[in-house]
Amino acid sequence: MAVNTRSIKIAAISVLVLLLSVAGVLFSGYLIKLDKEIRDRFAGARWALPAQVYAAPQELYAGLALNAKDLVHELQRLGYREDARLEMTGTYSAGAQRVDLNARGFDFWDGVQPPERLSVTFSGDVVTDITDIDKNESRDLVRLDPMLIGSIYPKQGEDRVLIKLSDAPPLLPKGLVAVEDHGFYSHSGISVKAIFRAGIANLRAGHVVQGGSTLTQQLIKNFFLTSRQTWTRKFNEAFMSLLLESHYSKDEILEAYLNEVHLGQDGNRAVHGFGLGAHFYFNKPLNELRPHEIALLVGLVKGPSFYNPRRNPQRATARRNLVLGIFRDEGLIGDAEYQADIKLPLGVAGSRGGGVERYPAFVDLVKRQLENDYKDEDLTNEGLRIFTTLDPRVQETLEAHIIGQLPVIEKSRKMKADTLEAAGAVTSVDRGEVLALVGGRDVRFPGFNRALDSRRSIGSLAKPFVYLTALEHPEQYNLETVIDDEPIELKLPGAPLWSPKNYDRQLHGPQHLYMALAQSMNLPTVRLGLALGPKAVLETMHQAGYDGDAKALPSIFLGAVDASPLQIAEMYGTLASGGFHASPSAIREVQTKEGKPLQRYPLQIKQVFADGPVYLLTWAMQKVMTLGTGRAAYSLLSPDTAVAGKSGTTDDYRDSWFAGFGADRVTVIWVGRDDNRSTGLSGSSGALRVWMRVMKDLHVRSLDNIPPASVEEISIDPESGLRADDQCLDAVVVPYLRNSGPFDWAPCAAQGSTSGPMQWLKDIFGH
Amino acid sequence: MVPRYLPVRLKLMVLLAALLVAACQTTSGTHKVYPGDTGPEGEPLSSPPPPVDAQPLEPLLPLPQPLPDYPKSAGQISGAAVTSLMKRAQQYRQAGQADQAAGTLERALRIEPRNYFVWSALAQAHLAQKNYAQAESMAQKSNALARGNVYVALENWKTIAAARDGEGNAAGAADAAAQIAALQARLDAAQPTSP
Repeated sequence: MAVNTRSIKIAAISVLVLLLSVAGVLFSGYLIKLDKEIRDRFAGARWALPAQVYAAPQELYAGLALNAKDLVHELQRLGYREDARLEMTGTYSAGAQRVDLNARGFDFWDGVQPPERLSVTFSGDVVTDITDIDKNESRDLVRLDPMLIGSIYPKQGEDRVLIKLSDAPPLLPKGLVAVEDHGFYSHSGISVKAIFRAGIANLRAGHVVQGGSTLTQQLIKNFFLTSRQTWTRKFNEAFMSLLLESHYSKDEILEAYLNEVHLGQDGNRAVHGFGLGAHFYFNKPLNELRPHEIALLVGLVKGPSFYNPRRNPQRATARRNLVLGIFRDEGLIGDAEYQADIKLPLGVAGSRGGGVERYPAFVDLVKRQLENDYKDEDLTNEGLRIFTTLDPRVQETLEAHIIGQLPVIEKSRKMKADTLEAAGAVTSVDRGEVLALVGGRDVRFPGFNRALDSRRSIGSLAKPFVYLTALEHPEQYNLETVIDDEPIELKLPGAPLWSPKNYDRQLHGPQHLYMALAQSMNLPTVRLGLALGPKAVLETMHQAGYDGDAKALPSIFLGAVDASPLQIAEMYGTLASGGFHASPSAIREVQTKEGKPLQRYPLQIKQVFADGPVYLLTWAMQKVMTLGTGRAAYSLLSPDTAVAGKSGTTDDYRDSWFAGFGADRVTVIWVGRDDNRSTGLSGSSGALRVWMRVMKDLHVRSLDNIPPASVEEISIDPESGLRADDQCLDAVVVPYLRNSGPFDWAPCAAQGSTSGPMQWLKDIFGH
Repeated sequence: MVPRYLPVRLKLMVLLAALLVAACQTTSGTHKVYPGDTGPEGEPLSSPPPPVDAQPLEPLLPLPQPLPDYPKSAGQISGAAVTSLMKRAQQYRQAGQADQAAGTLERALRIEPRNYFVWSALAQAHLAQKNYAQAESMAQKSNALARGNVYVALENWKTIAAARDGEGNAAGAADAAAQIAALQARLDAAQPTSP
């Protein structure tokens, strides 16, 4: 028995040792697997970083047309706050003719601009000086930090703005630890004490009121695991936390936590990390957050949806104040600060987080232009920094007048509210940069982008290209050429008889070429177009930038051509730039996430029309504004501001267009219905209402009207169309291509009777 | 205009000149051009001549009279911001960073979009990058905005000549060289070298 007992004991121990060894080997294998998972996840790029999209920075320099009020507005849009002490970056102090600011630094494409305290002085509506306050020296040129206007994240995806622990205000990590994991710096990944405490608290309450998870465990949970509460998951979480702590320092873990944590939801977009959280809720960088703002974000960790400050402000306020209380109890803020902060409003920026996701139509264009050069994964994963051409001031103006005018037009026409839709684009003359884009009257809604995708019939917007084709033949046509306004019937093979009518269904007798354009007469335009040929006119449109597939038929003279508002801006931009074409561009530069220049999108232009004919056409398009269908604009614009434009109305009033330009801006507006039914609006009674308000608020610069060398200005008598002198009371100055103007003197001219060529003959042979 | 006491020979010369001008006039348009009786069938009456190409500057004759007071350097028409950007661009050019130079000049153009000195410098930056088509386009743009400024036009035509040369367009380069010669002659005539 003794032997037996002994051998049984030995056997039992052997089995136990064997089992333990096997278990040990299996457990080691398990740990090694977990360890590898952790290392892989933490090595290299921990997150797919969406590309960040920035608006154009506001440049400040002496001579800039900007007043103090505009600058303050600009600063507020960037999330600067008023603070006379200018202690932090992102603060300003405004007077009537002076604005001081503590400008944020920024890593621009062509170099780093450090933060600096500046004083900007104004004289009325113009900047007169910029001084660096600390160095007390004048600065030629300063850029404000550009506004973050969006990011390119994958569908259903996480969005974040990566930060370093050193970027965070010190209160954030300390406060977070105080609220979420008091023993963070002493535990080794899991805290038995915390689990015990939480257990007791939950038992007392009868339901779960407290989690026992450390920050490390929370990070592991977010990184690797589902949120299902299973024993396996708890087990894995505990061991992975221990392993993570053995490989990485507390600061590294905390930094990862700050970037990983989920802080809110914006439609499909999940807002992750405190860097994006600061932008999303407060429209400013993390390092500028004040204690009550930090408290709000720290409070959100517990439940971003439950404590959503936009939807549940009362709950969010209570949570924030509770967190502020912990800050005070831990000695992170003083009692005076606490008392003051709990009285403050939440201070959350308007919906859709200030800049981010604010300009869906424009960001859509940016994405499309990027897709030519980058793969989807590059855009959603690499954290590229995209610098765009969007001018927030121009965008705001365009949005305001589309939103403001549509209800007014609907009301005056007794339409049901929200019947009309609209789209618009503003580009820069000479460069074709897209400064503003609106894709629909619900300007924040990232839906159908009418500015790019709504290709509608352009109506009379096509006419300038008919007239330009004519003016390119100075031996046949000039601005004073007379064209008949008589009925035309046209039979084309396989098509019904086409008999275009004038807008007012009347005939007006022979018209000067410029007047036929100014009054947007259909019959003279068709007559002119037929003489030139639809092929030549279509070619002119293509040269200006039209890229559609319209056929060379006579109906194109009256705009049976489909184009988007942005395409019209491109075509009219060619006219505005004196015959130089530039494709509309929305991107200037792309940087890597480290701030290295990756790609520049250089300006590219091409001369497609000679300057002379374009100058003549622009002269006629100014008559549209002073005598013709655009003249309502001068009820708002100063008579000193010369602008050129054209209205467009399509069959049965389905589309109302207005397109035009001054010296610096091209603006195109479309108003119509999505169901393509009649609106009863002409270009003048619809789109022009928006257009003229936009141009006025943009302070559009006047066309300078200095003729190029190929053009001469001749004083003529409008009655006869012949040369006038100071004897002719009604003389007008008209530009002609050199050597194509009238030669003979008008009857009213003194030269006509006494010293014309015939008089010379009399002088010579009369004696 | 013609004094009555002129000798007959001079009168005949004036007559000849008048006839010459009248002869030239036959090709020029007047206000009385009608497109004609375009029939309902809608055929163009006459096939229009090919479109006029972008015209280069007409060769200029040397004129003895002094030139208008054209600005000779960017500083004369540029604000402090643009002047400082142009200096920076110049430094980039000298350091062989032509793309940085072009980017800086584009920034200057956003501030003063019609500053033909900036366009002219941008054309040169493109030339340095061997972007010949853009070098020529930008130089033409500068010419269009310079409204006859001979100094700028001369620089621009030098850029155009070099760009066409770079493209292997010998005929085009020769045309540009002729423009340069004409402009230079005009400048020389306006500024006679003092003995």
